[in-house]
Amino acid sequence: MWKTVKSVLAAFFGVQREAQRREDFTSGKPISFILVGILMGIILVLILIVVAMTAAG
Amino acid sequence: MRKRHVWMTAGMLLAALSSHTLAAEWNMPIGVTDVSREIYSLHMTIFWICVVIGVVVFGAMFYSLFRYRRSKGAEAAHFHEHTMVEVIWTAVPLLILVGMAIPATATLKKMYDASEADLDVMITGQQWRWHYSYLGEDVEFTSNLGTPREQITGDGERSEHYLLEVDEPLVLPVGKKVRLLLTSDDVIHSWWVPDLAVKQDAVPSFVNENWVRINEPGIYRGQCAELCGKDHAFMPVVVEAVEPEAFEAWLAERKAAAEAEASGVDREWALDELMERGEQVYGSICASCHQPDGSGLPPSFPALAGNQALMDDSALHIDTVVNGVAGTAMPAFSTTLNPVELAAVITYERNAWGNDTGEAIQPADIAEMMAE
Ligand SMILES: [Cu+2]
Repeated sequence: MWKTVKSVLAAFFGVQREAQRREDFTSGKPISFILVGILMGIILVLILIVVAMTAAG
Repeated sequence: MRKRHVWMTAGMLLAALSSHTLAAEWNMPIGVTDVSREIYSLHMTIFWICVVIGVVVFGAMFYSLFRYRRSKGAEAAHFHEHTMVEVIWTAVPLLILVGMAIPATATLKKMYDASEADLDVMITGQQWRWHYSYLGEDVEFTSNLGTPREQITGDGERSEHYLLEVDEPLVLPVGKKVRLLLTSDDVIHSWWVPDLAVKQDAVPSFVNENWVRINEPGIYRGQCAELCGKDHAFMPVVVEAVEPEAFEAWLAERKAAAEAEASGVDREWALDELMERGEQVYGSICASCHQPDGSGLPPSFPALAGNQALMDDSALHIDTVVNGVAGTAMPAFSTTLNPVELAAVITYERNAWGNDTGEAIQPADIAEMMAE
């Protein structure tokens, strides 16, 4: 689980180590990356909303 | 020898870039409001950041091209990834962008805060002029192009402020917060005055907000910045910023003039009076399409001289000018002109260029018709 989160974070940033990429593509399940990705996308949007509201407030 | 030449050229270029005259001619103006100054300093900050990035990136690139060229036996290194370098080249631009966004957002917030204004001015774009209305003060007028026709057609020498001059400028007090409410009667226009750092679209049936607090008295010129039809280039903006006392005096004078004009509606006007006034109005409002001699530009803009259909039917003529003709380029002038001006210009059209109907259209009749 934590490994999946780290891989999704690396994808958000746009940089990933080749060794980690290989491991994700051999041992990981696609569905877990998709679900964690969607969830973390929502969290990112919520964080941006809170930042914008405090900046404007 | 060659090296020194390169350095000299570079030095001259830098000196030219930093010289004030060149900056004033090619750069954006610093302007005369606090917001315009902030925008200018943001612009310069970001400009120099871009210069530094450009020098570093292209410097590294050209240095590598030169230092490791093939003729000197350079061999390419073969490797696939380097996580640390990739992290750095992602993180550095991110930090630069966020660093630029923070001050830019602070300025944007100021620009959008049009609250607590001392004065409200409604600005309405019309093809092809600006209409200014001082809300709550009963003062409104239309600001037309002031450049004489012969300069445009090439028959006269161009004046200093060619196409950037109007018959009546927008007069504003310095040191006061003025809220600008922008809209349009016909198509999208854009009210743009670089020295005030205002460029705001005027959109039909929307009201956009902006504001200015001018620091220095002076005359500031701008243009319509949204392509809006045939005379887009001929609807400049001129703002005259004056001291608050001078502004109050001007406002009182305009109010008195408006009252005198309003009382003029009730009285009976003589044909000569109407003709004189009508000629003025025709020159500033109608002549750009229907031409000074009434010959028009058919088929879009019909001739008025010898227009039998209109001359036979004064009611049709009045309706055409007051309400416009839907589906054609003829707009309704009921919002641009007052009853006296409407009566005068219609009278002028019915008696000029051989249209000798001898009819005087009375302002009172127009006012009555518009009230219905
Ligand atoms: Cu326009």
